[in-house]
This record gives sequence, structure tokens and C-alpha cells, in this order.
Amino acid sequence: MTNNTDNAGANKTNAYETWDKQRGAIHTHIGGWEIGVSVTTYGHSLIDELVGKKSYFEILILSITGTLPEPRLAKWVEALYSCMSFPDPRIWCNQIGTLAGTARASAVSGITAGIQASDSRMYGPGTLSDVYNFLSFAMEHRLKGATVEGIISSKSRHSGSQPVIPSFSRPLASGDERVIALNTLTEELGFKWEPYMVLVRDIELYMLRKYNKSMSLPMFVVGFLRDQHWSLEQIQQVLSIMVTAGVAACYSEALEKPAETFLPLRCTDIDYCGAGPRTVPI
Amino acid sequence: MDEKYRKSTIKSRQEVFTDRVATRIWNETPSVNNPYIAESCQCHGYDLHALAHHKSFSDVIFLLQKGELPTPPQSRLFETLLISMINPGPRHPATRAAMNAGVGKTNPAHILPISLSVMSGEHLGGGEVTAAMTFLRKHRNTVPQQVVDDLLKDNFRPDEGDWHIAPGFGSHYGGIDIVPTQIAEALLKQPGKGAALSWAKEFVTSLHPHSLGWLTTGVAAAAFLDLGFHPRAGAGLFQLAAAPGLLAHGLELANKPRTALPFPDDEHYFYEKKKTAVTKDERKKYDEQYR
Repeated sequence: MTNNTDNAGANKTNAYETWDKQRGAIHTHIGGWEIGVSVTTYGHSLIDELVGKKSYFEILILSITGTLPEPRLAKWVEALYSCMSFPDPRIWCNQIGTLAGTARASAVSGITAGIQASDSRMYGPGTLSDVYNFLSFAMEHRLKGATVEGIISSKSRHSGSQPVIPSFSRPLASGDERVIALNTLTEELGFKWEPYMVLVRDIELYMLRKYNKSMSLPMFVVGFLRDQHWSLEQIQQVLSIMVTAGVAACYSEALEKPAETFLPLRCTDIDYCGAGPRTVPI
Repeated sequence: MDEKYRKSTIKSRQEVFTDRVATRIWNETPSVNNPYIAESCQCHGYDLHALAHHKSFSDVIFLLQKGELPTPPQSRLFETLLISMINPGPRHPATRAAMNAGVGKTNPAHILPISLSVMSGEHLGGGEVTAAMTFLRKHRNTVPQQVVDDLLKDNFRPDEGDWHIAPGFGSHYGGIDIVPTQIAEALLKQPGKGAALSWAKEFVTSLHPHSLGWLTTGVAAAAFLDLGFHPRAGAGLFQLAAAPGLLAHGLELANKPRTALPFPDDEHYFYEKKKTAVTKDERKKYDEQYR
């Protein structure tokens, strides 16, 4: 194994070999644009094979996973994006779109700022890794013979306390209408219930019975996509901009109204609770 | 379109790109053992450690942009401006975006970029600073009162919302903003002030009878011009000045519960369907009323 610390590198002539190999060249598996000849994405001609023949979501998934998905899987992901398109400026990421609109930031700045905000521990694609890691933990223990009760109770901070399970504490609401919609679509599209979905269902049944808590969308989504053999990184990348429509709606409306008129605040609307007036030391 | 035809009409422009990146700003001397590791850095010829020891942060920002260290009056003017603009306050949309990201548990590393994205806007943001610098440069040889007269002749106060009669100048919440006026007055007392601040002051004096005045963006624009900055640098410098305040407000809420910011309830949330088409009933009613 190579020791990559600076000190070790200083004594070797090839400590920077990794960088030298990449220097002045790009190595890619994706494809590229050969001007006037073709644009290739993972072996498919973008213009001749994909444009107009495959949906945007099929191309998005291809671009990240390297494989053209079944059309029904792309349709499922598109439906998920639709589920994430709440046009309500009170939702954090959407409100950033609204604020960008009211401040007359450009559409790209405003909408991407909102998308960036959804990289959150509380909602949006930022929550996916916790769910993914929990399901890895749960499946590993289930395969070793652990019960769902045992798996869940091991996530209690101390004996008898409620367990902390990702995706069972949706902000602002309990229950999740989007899970119901996606569940229906999953069945309509003919997807079978594979091991992770079965595990997710068993966990939810237990949580409902024991704590009256139902899962929110991320648990359902990650369970389903793990059964499609997607890695955490692939899940994160395909779903990275899934709040776009909601943010864009809010940005758009704010832009139509006079600047800075979104929930305007008077000076007295802000409560200052810091130190009192004092002299600047010289 | 025929495939053969399409491919034959799309050709590379054969642009010649440089093989190497060039900069006049920063020089890195490589270490003896590893060419990827710098042993020393020079900013426009000055050693980084010497700058850190003897110069202020704002002086080095100036150096990075201009290539020369500021004179003492420039240094004082720039420092005063940067501190004056250090926090747009908790009501500015950019600050609120930072706070929103903080309380929303957005990755803290995103707080600053998010708020700076909002701070790029053309309303009291970086976009307006650049536009104001361009405006001031364009009119610097015209008598301010004449510019005001022309603007009033060619433009109309909007029915609602603020009126920025020119970028950086106008009303805020319907009136003359006080703090930017105070900042401008403070900058105008400094020896580093120049023609742009002086021209803008006269311009503002002519605007006052119309309840229009300095905006923060106009003050920043005039001072940046007097310091010799190009308009394209204005937006970024303005964002840079505001960054400490934006970050502080965002971080203040990052470890607070999500209930620490207001979240209007449904009673205060009104879904008003946008009228998209006239219904038959509406048509009938209209006909009855107006025919």
C-alpha cells in the first residue's frame, strides 16, 4: 500500500505519480462530443438513438448509472420528481427560490440556490444517505437472523426510549401521501416486492403498531431503488435535483411581484437580543 | 433531416486554445521534492507571509483585484466601505435565505453560497452594484440635475413597489433609506473619496424632492469606482463584503430547531387560483352586465 502523506511523498520520486498520470489529459468512460460526428453517452448516440426516442429520465439515469433503464423505471423516477414538486413557498428550499425571485437573482441562481438548500439533513435528497445506511444495517442483521423488533430497538438511545429511525419523522406532517401515490404506481408498473421493499414494509408495520409512526417518502424510495441495485451515490445523483419544479414555481411567482414584497418585515419585526450599546475600544 | 447532411454541416470551429493557464495574480514556487506542492506563494510579487504579517485583509483583497497595494486613503475608504456593507441585516432576502438554510438543516457548507446566490440579484444585490457602476461611469460628464430631469421625463413611478430610478438610487420600502445615506456621508468625508461619490451625492440631492435617494448598492458602486474597480468586479466585491453577515445569520440558526423561524400556518396561507380562462358563466354575466 502506498503511503500518501506529504512526508512520505517527499522522499519518493513518484509520490505525485497519480497526478502526473492525469496531467494534461481527461480519461472518461462516459462518452463525449466528437464535433460534427457524434455525441455519445455510454455507447449510445445521443442524437440518433436517444433524442426523441427515450425520455429525459431514461437519459438522466443512463448518464449516471451507465445503463439505459427499463422505461417503467424511468417513469417511476419521474413520478418521484413529481411527488417532490410541492409549490409552497413556506417549504425551505422553495422559499429560497422565492427570496431569489424577490431579490431579482437570475433564474439559474435562484432555482439552483433552492436546489442546493434541499441538500439537507431534514428533507430532500440530503436525507437519503441516512436511510440508505440504516437499511444496510437492518438488512445485514436480518440476514443474520435478527427480528425487525430487535433491529429497531437497537436504535433506541437508551432502554425503553423511542428508537431513532430515519424517515419516520417527516417535518410538518405525519404520514405521507406521496408514499401512497408511489406505492400505487409501483404496483401498476408491475414491480415485484423485492427484499428491501419487504424489509421496509416490515419496518413500517412494526413502527405503526408499536409507535403509531408511518414512514415518509425517503424510506420507500431508497428501499425501492436498492432493489433496483442502485448504489447510494447513484441514488443521490439521480435524485439530486428533484425539488426543481417546486422551487421554480416559487421563484417564478416572486419574480412577477414587486421586489422584496415577500413577507416584508419592518425593523421592529426583528427582535434584537444581543449586547447593549458600548464604546469601541481603541 | 437527412443524417448525412446534418453531420456534414456540423463542424468544429477549430479554435486555437492555449496549452497553459496564465495569471498575473499568484506565483507558486514548487518544492524541490514535489512539483505539485508549493514552497512559497507570491501575490502580485509580494510574499504571502509578509502580507499576512504587515497588511490587513482588506488591503490584500484590494491587491488581488488591482495588482497594487492601496494608498493609505484608499485603504481607509475600502475598509470603511467593507465594514459598512458587512451585514445586509436580517430582513434582506439574502440574509433570510441564509437563515432559512440554517434552520432548514441544509449542509452548513452551502449556507454562504446559497445566500450569495440570492445576493447576486438586481434588487439591492451584486447585480445592481454592477449596473450602478455602469450608470455612474456613463453619466459622469453630465450635470447630475440634467440626468435627474431626463430620468424623470422618460420614466414613471411604478404603481406599486419601490422605484429604482437608476440602478443604485431610488426608494426603499417607499422612502429614502437612511443608513445608506449615513454611510455615503461618512465616505464623503474621507480623503480617499473621488469623483464618483461626489457626483452621486449631487445626483442624490436632486432626487430627494422626489423621495428618492441613496441605496446601499449605489453607495458601494460609487466607492468602488473611486477605488478604481471595474464594474464587472462590483457584484462580487459587494457579495464579498456582505458574506460575513450572511454566514453569521445562517449559522446562528443552524443548530436551532426548525420552529425557530416563523412558518405561517394555513390560516395565513392563501391559495388563489390564477384566472386562466373565462368560463361560460363569467361570459354570460359579462354580457348581461355590459351588453
